[in-house]
Amino acid sequence: MKRENLKNYDGKDGRPAYFAYKGKVYDITGSKLWRNGTHVNRHHAGEDLTDFMSMAPHAEEVLEQCKIVDTIDDEVAEDIFIDRMDRLRDWYRRFHPHPVTLHYPMGLFYFAAFMQLLYLIFRVSAFESAAFYAFIGATLTTIPAAVSGLFSWWVNYQMTLTRIFRMKIIFTLVMLVFGISGCVLRFLYPGISAGTSPLSFSYSALVFLNVPALTIVAFNGGKITWPS
Amino acid sequence: MDKQRIKELEEMIQVVLLAIPREISAREFYLQAAKKAVSDSSRLLFSDLAEQEKGHEAELRRILTELKTELKEARGH
Repeated sequence: MKRENLKNYDGKDGRPAYFAYKGKVYDITGSKLWRNGTHVNRHHAGEDLTDFMSMAPHAEEVLEQCKIVDTIDDEVAEDIFIDRMDRLRDWYRRFHPHPVTLHYPMGLFYFAAFMQLLYLIFRVSAFESAAFYAFIGATLTTIPAAVSGLFSWWVNYQMTLTRIFRMKIIFTLVMLVFGISGCVLRFLYPGISAGTSPLSFSYSALVFLNVPALTIVAFNGGKITWPS
Repeated sequence: MDKQRIKELEEMIQVVLLAIPREISAREFYLQAAKKAVSDSSRLLFSDLAEQEKGHEAELRRILTELKTELKEARGH
Protein backbone atom coordinates (compact mmCIF):
# COMPACT_ATOMS: atom_id res chain seq x y z
CA MET A 1 0.00 0.00 0.00
CA LYS A 2 1.19 3.50 -0.73
CA ARG A 3 1.36 5.77 2.27
CA GLU A 4 -1.01 8.26 0.65
CA ASN A 5 -3.64 5.51 0.35
CA LEU A 6 -3.44 4.77 4.06
CA LYS A 7 -5.41 7.98 4.71
CA ASN A 8 -8.48 6.34 3.16
CA TYR A 9 -8.64 3.84 6.02
CA ASP A 10 -9.55 6.35 8.73
CA GLY A 11 -12.27 4.30 10.46
CA LYS A 12 -14.88 6.99 9.89
CA ASP A 13 -18.34 6.56 8.29
CA GLY A 14 -18.00 2.80 8.25
CA ARG A 15 -14.62 2.75 6.52
CA PRO A 16 -11.98 0.27 7.79
CA ALA A 17 -9.47 1.57 10.34
CA TYR A 18 -5.80 0.95 9.57
CA PHE A 19 -2.59 2.46 10.83
CA ALA A 20 1.04 1.93 9.91
CA TYR A 21 3.84 1.01 12.28
CA LYS A 22 7.42 0.37 11.15
CA GLY A 23 6.35 -0.28 7.58
CA LYS A 24 3.49 -2.67 8.43
CA VAL A 25 -0.20 -1.85 8.12
CA TYR A 26 -2.39 -2.94 11.04
CA ASP A 27 -6.15 -3.40 10.94
CA ILE A 28 -7.93 -2.15 14.09
CA THR A 29 -11.41 -1.93 12.58
CA GLY A 30 -14.03 -2.57 15.25
CA SER A 31 -11.60 -2.19 18.16
CA LYS A 32 -13.13 -0.58 21.26
CA LEU A 33 -9.90 1.36 21.70
CA TRP A 34 -10.29 2.90 18.24
CA ARG A 35 -13.87 4.16 18.20
CA ASN A 36 -14.60 6.16 15.06
CA GLY A 37 -10.95 5.76 14.06
CA THR A 38 -9.57 7.65 17.06
CA HIS A 39 -7.36 6.30 19.82
CA VAL A 40 -7.26 8.07 23.23
CA ASN A 41 -8.53 11.20 21.50
CA ARG A 42 -5.04 11.73 20.09
CA HIS A 43 -4.11 9.27 17.37
CA HIS A 44 -6.08 8.75 14.21
CA ALA A 45 -6.49 5.75 11.94
CA GLY A 46 -5.05 6.30 8.50
CA GLU A 47 -1.74 7.60 9.88
CA ASP A 48 1.75 6.27 10.44
CA LEU A 49 2.23 5.97 14.19
CA THR A 50 5.81 4.68 14.22
CA ASP A 51 7.29 7.75 15.92
CA PHE A 52 4.60 7.88 18.59
CA MET A 53 5.21 4.51 20.24
CA SER A 54 7.87 5.82 22.64
CA MET A 55 5.24 8.19 24.07
CA ALA A 56 2.66 5.46 24.56
CA PRO A 57 2.00 3.91 28.00
CA HIS A 58 2.25 0.48 26.35
CA ALA A 59 5.00 -1.37 24.48
CA GLU A 60 4.85 -2.32 20.82
CA GLU A 61 4.01 -5.88 21.90
CA VAL A 62 0.34 -4.83 22.07
CA LEU A 63 0.40 -4.81 18.27
CA GLU A 64 0.76 -8.59 18.31
CA GLN A 65 -3.00 -8.64 18.95
CA CYS A 66 -3.65 -6.68 15.76
CA LYS A 67 -3.92 -8.16 12.31
CA ILE A 68 -1.30 -7.13 9.74
CA VAL A 69 -3.04 -6.52 6.43
CA ASP A 70 -0.37 -4.89 4.28
CA THR A 71 3.00 -3.17 4.16
CA ILE A 72 3.87 0.40 3.24
CA ASP A 73 5.49 1.02 -0.08
CA ASP A 74 8.13 3.58 0.88
CA GLU A 75 9.01 4.58 -2.67
CA VAL A 76 6.54 7.43 -2.80
CA ALA A 77 7.16 11.10 -3.31
CA GLU A 78 6.15 12.15 0.20
CA ASP A 79 8.70 9.86 1.83
CA ILE A 80 11.42 11.05 -0.49
CA PHE A 81 10.54 14.66 0.41
CA ILE A 82 10.63 13.89 4.15
CA ASP A 83 14.00 12.16 3.76
CA ARG A 84 15.35 15.14 1.86
CA MET A 85 14.15 17.53 4.59
CA ASP A 86 15.77 15.31 7.25
CA ARG A 87 19.02 15.36 5.32
CA LEU A 88 18.86 19.16 4.99
CA ARG A 89 18.15 19.49 8.71
CA ASP A 90 21.11 17.24 9.48
CA TRP A 91 23.30 19.34 7.21
CA TYR A 92 22.08 22.52 8.90
CA ARG A 93 22.77 21.11 12.38
CA ARG A 94 26.27 20.10 11.36
CA PHE A 95 27.28 23.38 9.70
CA HIS A 96 24.71 25.83 11.24
CA PRO A 97 25.31 28.46 8.50
CA HIS A 98 23.04 31.14 10.00
CA PRO A 99 24.90 31.57 13.31
CA VAL A 100 28.15 31.44 11.31
CA THR A 101 27.19 34.19 8.84
CA LEU A 102 25.07 36.55 10.93
CA HIS A 103 27.95 37.84 13.05
CA TYR A 104 29.63 39.62 10.12
CA PRO A 105 26.86 42.16 9.42
CA MET A 106 26.22 42.48 13.17
CA GLY A 107 29.77 43.52 13.93
CA LEU A 108 30.24 45.61 10.80
CA PHE A 109 27.02 47.66 11.05
CA TYR A 110 27.79 48.58 14.67
CA PHE A 111 31.38 49.39 13.74
CA ALA A 112 30.27 51.52 10.76
CA ALA A 113 27.93 53.56 12.99
CA PHE A 114 30.65 54.01 15.60
CA MET A 115 33.18 55.20 12.99
CA GLN A 116 30.62 57.59 11.46
CA LEU A 117 29.90 59.00 14.92
CA LEU A 118 33.63 59.55 15.50
CA TYR A 119 33.87 61.29 12.14
CA LEU A 120 30.98 63.61 12.94
CA ILE A 121 32.61 64.51 16.26
CA PHE A 122 36.27 64.80 15.24
CA ARG A 123 36.00 65.36 11.46
CA VAL A 124 38.90 62.99 10.75
CA SER A 125 38.38 61.62 7.24
CA ALA A 126 39.89 58.22 8.12
CA PHE A 127 36.92 57.60 10.40
CA GLU A 128 34.51 58.40 7.55
CA SER A 129 36.33 56.06 5.17
CA ALA A 130 36.36 53.30 7.78
CA ALA A 131 32.62 53.80 8.32
CA PHE A 132 31.94 53.59 4.60
CA TYR A 133 33.98 50.43 4.01
CA ALA A 134 32.48 48.77 7.07
CA PHE A 135 29.01 49.77 5.83
CA ILE A 136 29.69 48.15 2.43
CA GLY A 137 30.97 45.00 4.13
CA ALA A 138 27.98 44.91 6.45
CA THR A 139 25.51 45.32 3.59
CA LEU A 140 27.16 42.62 1.50
CA THR A 141 27.40 40.15 4.38
CA THR A 142 23.73 40.74 5.23
CA ILE A 143 22.88 38.79 2.07
CA PRO A 144 24.38 35.40 3.09
CA ALA A 145 23.07 35.94 6.63
CA ALA A 146 19.56 36.54 5.28
CA VAL A 147 19.73 33.60 2.87
CA SER A 148 20.98 31.22 5.57
CA GLY A 149 18.25 32.57 7.88
CA LEU A 150 15.61 31.80 5.28
CA PHE A 151 17.11 28.35 4.83
CA SER A 152 16.93 27.74 8.59
CA TRP A 153 13.35 29.00 8.65
CA TRP A 154 12.47 26.56 5.88
CA VAL A 155 14.13 23.39 7.17
CA ASN A 156 13.68 23.92 10.91
CA TYR A 157 10.38 25.82 11.14
CA GLN A 158 8.52 24.88 7.92
CA MET A 159 8.36 28.59 7.03
CA THR A 160 5.70 29.15 9.66
CA LEU A 161 5.22 32.90 9.93
CA THR A 162 5.09 33.72 13.63
CA ARG A 163 5.73 37.16 15.16
CA ILE A 164 9.44 36.41 15.71
CA PHE A 165 10.06 35.43 12.10
CA ARG A 166 7.91 38.25 10.78
CA MET A 167 10.00 40.79 12.72
CA LYS A 168 13.25 39.22 11.59
CA ILE A 169 12.22 39.26 7.93
CA ILE A 170 10.82 42.80 7.96
CA PHE A 171 13.84 44.36 9.68
CA THR A 172 16.33 42.38 7.60
CA LEU A 173 14.68 43.88 4.52
CA VAL A 174 14.88 47.31 6.17
CA MET A 175 18.59 46.75 6.80
CA LEU A 176 19.17 45.76 3.19
CA VAL A 177 17.26 48.75 1.83
CA PHE A 178 19.09 51.15 4.17
CA GLY A 179 22.42 49.47 3.42
CA ILE A 180 22.09 49.52 -0.36
CA SER A 181 20.70 53.09 -0.34
CA GLY A 182 23.56 54.29 1.87
CA CYS A 183 26.21 52.62 -0.31
CA VAL A 184 24.70 54.09 -3.49
CA LEU A 185 24.55 57.59 -1.97
CA ARG A 186 28.16 57.44 -0.79
CA PHE A 187 29.34 56.12 -4.19
CA LEU A 188 27.51 58.90 -6.02
CA TYR A 189 28.59 61.64 -3.60
CA PRO A 190 31.98 60.73 -2.07
CA GLY A 191 32.02 63.86 0.09
CA ILE A 192 28.49 63.40 1.36
CA SER A 193 29.42 63.04 5.03
CA ALA A 194 31.19 66.42 5.10
CA GLY A 195 28.16 68.43 3.99
CA THR A 196 25.22 69.80 5.94
CA SER A 197 22.57 69.23 3.29
CA PRO A 198 19.51 66.99 3.79
CA LEU A 199 21.28 64.39 1.64
CA SER A 200 24.26 64.37 4.01
CA PHE A 201 21.92 64.02 6.95
CA SER A 202 20.15 61.16 5.16
CA TYR A 203 23.39 59.26 4.59
CA SER A 204 24.40 59.45 8.25
CA ALA A 205 20.84 58.57 9.25
CA LEU A 206 20.99 55.40 7.12
CA VAL A 207 24.28 54.40 8.76
CA PHE A 208 22.88 54.99 12.26
CA LEU A 209 19.36 53.62 11.69
CA ASN A 210 20.71 50.21 10.76
CA VAL A 211 21.84 49.83 14.37
CA PRO A 212 18.30 49.69 15.84
CA ALA A 213 17.11 47.65 12.82
CA LEU A 214 19.91 45.15 13.39
CA THR A 215 19.23 45.11 17.13
CA ILE A 216 15.58 44.18 16.51
CA VAL A 217 16.67 41.33 14.22
CA ALA A 218 19.24 40.12 16.76
CA PHE A 219 16.79 40.44 19.66
CA ASN A 220 14.25 38.26 17.86
CA GLY A 221 16.98 35.79 16.93
CA GLY A 222 17.84 35.59 20.62
CA LYS A 223 14.20 34.72 21.35
CA ILE A 224 14.61 31.65 19.15
CA THR A 225 17.81 30.56 20.85
CA TRP A 226 16.63 31.38 24.38
CA PRO A 227 12.81 31.29 24.28
CA SER A 228 11.02 32.67 27.32
CA MET B 1 -13.59 33.44 17.45
CA ASP B 2 -12.13 36.53 19.08
CA LYS B 3 -8.78 38.22 18.62
CA GLN B 4 -7.63 36.99 22.02
CA ARG B 5 -8.01 33.37 20.89
CA ILE B 6 -6.08 34.07 17.68
CA LYS B 7 -3.29 35.65 19.72
CA GLU B 8 -3.20 32.67 22.08
CA LEU B 9 -3.01 30.25 19.15
CA GLU B 10 -0.21 32.24 17.51
CA GLU B 11 1.77 32.24 20.75
CA MET B 12 1.20 28.52 21.22
CA ILE B 13 2.31 27.83 17.64
CA GLN B 14 5.48 29.78 18.34
CA VAL B 15 6.17 27.77 21.50
CA VAL B 16 5.65 24.44 19.74
CA LEU B 17 7.60 25.56 16.69
CA LEU B 18 10.64 26.51 18.75
CA ALA B 19 10.46 23.26 20.72
CA ILE B 20 10.69 20.95 17.68
CA PRO B 21 14.33 21.67 16.68
CA ARG B 22 15.29 21.20 20.34
CA GLU B 23 13.83 17.70 20.32
CA ILE B 24 15.66 16.93 17.07
CA SER B 25 18.95 18.20 18.50
CA ALA B 26 18.40 16.25 21.71
CA ARG B 27 17.75 13.08 19.70
CA GLU B 28 20.90 13.63 17.68
CA PHE B 29 22.85 14.19 20.91
CA TYR B 30 21.60 10.91 22.41
CA LEU B 31 22.25 9.00 19.20
CA GLN B 32 25.84 10.24 19.19
CA ALA B 33 26.12 9.37 22.87
CA ALA B 34 24.81 5.87 22.13
CA LYS B 35 27.50 5.44 19.48
CA LYS B 36 30.18 6.47 21.96
CA ALA B 37 28.78 4.38 24.82
CA VAL B 38 31.24 1.91 26.29
CA SER B 39 28.71 -0.40 27.92
CA ASP B 40 25.55 -2.09 26.73
CA SER B 41 23.47 -0.57 29.52
CA SER B 42 24.49 3.01 28.69
CA ARG B 43 24.06 2.35 24.96
CA LEU B 44 20.55 1.07 25.63
CA LEU B 45 19.79 4.06 27.84
CA PHE B 46 20.90 6.58 25.22
CA SER B 47 19.07 4.72 22.46
CA ASP B 48 15.88 4.76 24.56
CA LEU B 49 16.30 8.46 25.26
CA ALA B 50 16.80 9.11 21.54
CA GLU B 51 13.64 7.17 20.78
CA GLN B 52 11.72 9.21 23.34
CA GLU B 53 12.92 12.45 21.76
CA LYS B 54 11.62 11.17 18.44
CA GLY B 55 8.27 10.62 20.13
CA HIS B 56 8.31 14.14 21.56
CA GLU B 57 9.05 15.55 18.11
CA ALA B 58 6.20 13.54 16.57
CA GLU B 59 3.78 14.73 19.27
CA LEU B 60 4.85 18.33 18.83
CA ARG B 61 4.39 18.08 15.07
CA ARG B 62 0.93 16.62 15.60
CA ILE B 63 0.02 19.44 17.98
CA LEU B 64 1.47 22.00 15.56
CA THR B 65 -0.72 20.70 12.76
CA GLU B 66 -3.80 20.90 15.01
CA LEU B 67 -2.94 24.44 16.13
CA LYS B 68 -2.36 25.60 12.55
CA THR B 69 -5.70 24.14 11.51
CA GLU B 70 -7.47 25.84 14.41
CA LEU B 71 -5.76 29.16 13.66
CA LYS B 72 -6.78 28.93 10.02
CA GLU B 73 -10.39 28.34 11.07
CA ALA B 74 -10.21 31.16 13.62
CA ARG B 75 -9.07 33.55 10.93
CA GLY B 76 -12.00 32.44 8.83
CA HIS B 77 -10.05 30.91 5.92
